[in-house]
Amino acid sequence: MFGPFRATNPLSGGLLWKVPWRLSRMQKLRQRERLRAVDNVVATIDRALAKQGETAKAIERWKNEMPAEPEMLPKDKYTIFDRKEKKYRKGIHKLPKWTRLSQRLNPPGF
Amino acid sequence: MAFFKITLLRSAIGLPRKSSGVLQALGLRKRMRTVYHPVSPQVAGQIMRVKELVDVSEVEEPLSKPEMRQLRKPDPGFYIESAISR
Repeated sequence: MFGPFRATNPLSGGLLWKVPWRLSRMQKLRQRERLRAVDNVVATIDRALAKQGETAKAIERWKNEMPAEPEMLPKDKYTIFDRKEKKYRKGIHKLPKWTRLSQRLNPPGF
Repeated sequence: MAFFKITLLRSAIGLPRKSSGVLQALGLRKRMRTVYHPVSPQVAGQIMRVKELVDVSEVEEPLSKPEMRQLRKPDPGFYIESAISR
């Protein structure tokens, strides 16, 4: 998976300077790591507040609405709903600032 | 008393103004800056606004800036012998 002879898109396919239509394996790995990092932050805050017997509205809302990284479907991790696309899905890397946003939910049925 | 140890890992450049405002309010002005805030629902709400940008852990006591600097300092690899008093 790693090392000088790993099978990445530029190494196996040659020139790659456009934004590809899908994420590479490494991009997906880093995306999962980012999702888990956010899950960890929320869990840490929740644990610290619970020790004091308190809770915050934003935390409760997040826990009720947002799926954690292991609960998410690969489809929702790496793609996003778009009504203009064929089959209504496009890569999440087409979303501006996608590495610093929490985009986890999509319309049901799409 | 418990504290949140908050480190800014990603900058808020290009994000909505609100996120940079929250970072300013938390005292995070540059990447890798660490601040300590007491555990409270108010601070928790602030962290939730910028949860994608920061790393959070819970600590018992806040460290001062010189103490954090001391922790980062590498081992010099030598020590100076003190003269024996005669």
